[in-house]
Amino acid sequence: MTICPYCATGCGMRVSVQGGRISEVSPDPAHPVSEGKLCLKGLYGFRHVADPGRLSMPLMKRGDGFAPVSWATALDAIAAKLQSIKRESGADAFALTTSGHMTNEDNYLAQKFARLVMGTNNIHHGAPGAPGLKAAFGSGAMTNAIPELSEVSDLIFIIGSNTAECHPLIAKHVLAAKARGAKLIVADPRMTDMANKADLWLRVKPGSDIALLNAMQHLIIKDGLHKLAFIRDHATGFEAVAAAVEAYSPERASRITGIRAADIIAAGQAFAKARAAATLCATGIAHDGTLASLANLAVMTGQIGRPGAGIFALRGSANSQGASDVAAGSFRFEPPTVPPTVPIDLPEAILAGQVHALFIAGGNPVISHKDAQHFQKSLRKLDFLVVADLFLTETARHADIVLPAAGWAEKDGTVTNTERRVQRVRAIVAPPGEARADWWIFQSLAQHMGCKAMTYAGPQEIWEEVRRAAPEDYAGITYARLDQTHGLYWPCPTEDHPGTPILHIGGHFATPSGKAALTPVRFVADTQAPDDAYPFTLLTGRRVYHFLTATMTRRAPLLAQIGPEALIELNPGDANALAVRDGDFIKVGTLRGEVIAKAWVTERVPPGTVFATFHFWEANANEAEGASKSTPARVARSSITEARSALAQKHADYRPELERTTAARMHAPGQASGQVAP
Amino acid sequence: MNRFVIADPDKCTGCYTCVAACVNVHEKVGLVAHPRLTVIHTATVTMPVQCRNCDDAPCEKVCPVTAITFKDHAVQINESLCIGCKMCSLACPFGAITPFGTLPEGAGQPVYGGLAQPMPSDADPLHPILAWTVGQRTVAVKCDMCHFRPEGPECIRVCPTEALRLIDDAAINQSAALKRARYSGMLAAVHDPSVPSG
Repeated sequence: MTICPYCATGCGMRVSVQGGRISEVSPDPAHPVSEGKLCLKGLYGFRHVADPGRLSMPLMKRGDGFAPVSWATALDAIAAKLQSIKRESGADAFALTTSGHMTNEDNYLAQKFARLVMGTNNIHHGAPGAPGLKAAFGSGAMTNAIPELSEVSDLIFIIGSNTAECHPLIAKHVLAAKARGAKLIVADPRMTDMANKADLWLRVKPGSDIALLNAMQHLIIKDGLHKLAFIRDHATGFEAVAAAVEAYSPERASRITGIRAADIIAAGQAFAKARAAATLCATGIAHDGTLASLANLAVMTGQIGRPGAGIFALRGSANSQGASDVAAGSFRFEPPTVPPTVPIDLPEAILAGQVHALFIAGGNPVISHKDAQHFQKSLRKLDFLVVADLFLTETARHADIVLPAAGWAEKDGTVTNTERRVQRVRAIVAPPGEARADWWIFQSLAQHMGCKAMTYAGPQEIWEEVRRAAPEDYAGITYARLDQTHGLYWPCPTEDHPGTPILHIGGHFATPSGKAALTPVRFVADTQAPDDAYPFTLLTGRRVYHFLTATMTRRAPLLAQIGPEALIELNPGDANALAVRDGDFIKVGTLRGEVIAKAWVTERVPPGTVFATFHFWEANANEAEGASKSTPARVARSSITEARSALAQKHADYRPELERTTAARMHAPGQASGQVAP
Repeated sequence: MNRFVIADPDKCTGCYTCVAACVNVHEKVGLVAHPRLTVIHTATVTMPVQCRNCDDAPCEKVCPVTAITFKDHAVQINESLCIGCKMCSLACPFGAITPFGTLPEGAGQPVYGGLAQPMPSDADPLHPILAWTVGQRTVAVKCDMCHFRPEGPECIRVCPTEALRLIDDAAINQSAALKRARYSGMLAAVHDPSVPSG
């Protein structure tokens, strides 16, 4: 039994092994979230584990390619380089990114390495989480448990989440709630497979969510539907919020959002009058002040801190929640290290010459960064880049040293799903060649740099330290308890504590005052609004059959067969005007870059809007996306020739290094027999 | 009488798990590795569409080589007999038959990251089903109710939201009985005794 390595739902699965390889995955019939089901990524997305392209040796840049080296050589080289950079440019010239694909134990040792050995707080965990919620509630984590949706909530409000595609087994709980009689309201510019199930679908214009939420609060206060006693006892700043939303009448919001005023009123009334309203949100809104506005809405209507009522801030990867809990946690070490600072903007810090050395563990930002080309440019300015990953990813190809990491099926540990459920993951097969778990990599590197404080025998010993380092959250969570349950919700302070599925019960928030800190949020029109030159809005996101940069899913034949290539959604009206037919190649250009892929002519996107993904390196929407979440774009017809030449050009960028590397690995002495000592 | 699988669009989330499961089980028994159901996305609905196994099947009628027969309450295609003429695809009222071929060994293998070698093809024919690629022998592919699986259609088993179900005699009779009862209830509610009968 283990936990699915893909999204943050944390579905339970059984893995069968034949001849040392995973042969089949089947659902855990008793898991309380996945309830005996899995989506196609969980069921069929395991072939990358035994892929012949897995990294099996550390690689060191030699000339234009890579040469395989032993662990001792690789770690000595990294240690020497990091020590010299620390000596010459200071500890903060080093930065580390961890990820939600690594376990809690991996993330803990990664941050301990950065803080204790390097002496810096430059730690990024690739999961921005919910800063707006943290400011309001004192915790940025999802407030309730997933099963409450199907069991308790009588209104579900989805905004900024394509739950059906990004968290399919959570969508199942939403549908179960609907079958029970709960009402579903979905705010989304695209007609997602949640929007087409909604009792009320608010086709909000991209970037105008705050106007919608403020108008809902406006009419709630005007109609006296807010819970005055709850606000008085459990919140601060309500007057400022009330004053701010005064300007957002449903009629004005209707002009900004494109939604009928009557629908905004219906949504606000339904939300305030619901017995238990759950708000589901994800990265569609996580990057701006929208979360603060959602917090205001939930608190003023008392839709928080009760079963079925709360803000379900859905995270991206299997351990995104754990990565932000553990890697960004402010653990106190002896000797104490510098206090945590505001996370730096990595590409900017590199380009400004502040960061000279970067360690990327389990991430592919060359494709996944919201401004991919900018990130790639910044990597070229680095003195030293180390990447630990399963494959020679697009990012790893820029590295000076590449370390082979063990994957999800090859290591023990814990992961924390989006609802704060800490669950055990288990080693099922052996890693290829010399690949090692990330915690081992950071521990060994620390030892090579002369640190005596990191000598753990394995993940369980690391977890014991995590329990001691953050006792209020984890002291009660032991491997023995996890082995007997389907996970425990933090906070879980003692071993007889059942865990805490619902945060902020009774309106007792985790802020210093114990009250929710409401903040007025004003709608600011996007500075990059569409104009005559760039008349479209580009939205980016995911498809159900691929995951992030598809490093794992494109190596699963069944998933690659369903999603062989990138598709850009284009409204039929726009397609008509551009004389584009379904399946024609189109070019979407922004001020930042351009992407060419086949058009999917569909009403899923509203007129004037295109939707593209970042699953495919050869057609990566993040290369056209800017810093804003909705970017003005222009769409032009393209030809197959143009698409092929664009592909050939991208191929030319990637191919030579890949071939050199493959050749180097094939000629590696001792690799086939595994004789190189670590 | 025919049996078939049907999807409930109110429950389908368009997750494609049925599609992957379909390819998986057919590939394992040596049949063409192509999905026997197609997820469609319209302006209002997302759901997989698959064969209805019509009792009086147009595809069976037009097949010139009797590769299509009705047996075990379903329309079955013998992939070995099929000559790839595609008449059945044209005749099917549901668009449930997809012509699909296997590539000859060594051709079109992924180079890297799923990127296939370009093959000579006619991607823009008079009719979509006439598209061809060098080296492919096309056969008709459609839902066969997973007749080789004693536990029944795999798509039904894996669907996370239980949006797919099997329709057979019993299901049709039950549905009809329910509707008769509802209809008679409606009649009773509108019955006005003051209106003379006849």
